[in-house]
Amino acid sequence: MGRKEQLLKDIGIVSFVVVELTLYLDTHPTDRNAMEYFNHYNNIRKQMTKEFSTKYYPLTLDMTECSKDWRWGAAPLPWEGECG
Amino acid sequence: MQDYKYDNNIDKFPVAMAYVPWQEFDRLFEDLEEAYYTGTIFPCLDKPFTGRRCV
Repeated sequence: MGRKEQLLKDIGIVSFVVVELTLYLDTHPTDRNAMEYFNHYNNIRKQMTKEFSTKYYPLTLDMTECSKDWRWGAAPLPWEGECG
Repeated sequence: MQDYKYDNNIDKFPVAMAYVPWQEFDRLFEDLEEAYYTGTIFPCLDKPFTGRRCV
């Protein structure tokens, strides 16, 4: 598995962790411990998606930073089989 | 969200009502990739159906 596929898979895993913690915090809004976990993994997720966007292509529109070419448009479409 | 600890006044609870114990945060699975395939990061929520009864 290439570096790109591995990073994409790791982004999927860390996103799942963030969603799980969100669901827990929705019913336990005062749980400090869970909030620390959430901030930790949410930051990791931001770093990973930023790295992926600069190295390969933006995963969401708000990650698009482009100087000369419109990188969002150049990104593969979900049904083009690139997303694994 | 008021937390009703059921252990000390279970006798005062009306019959024929369902009670779900409140989830406490103890720890996450170490291997998050395995948790991803398991479907939860919380060990206490990991209840695989074994064909006859839950674990």
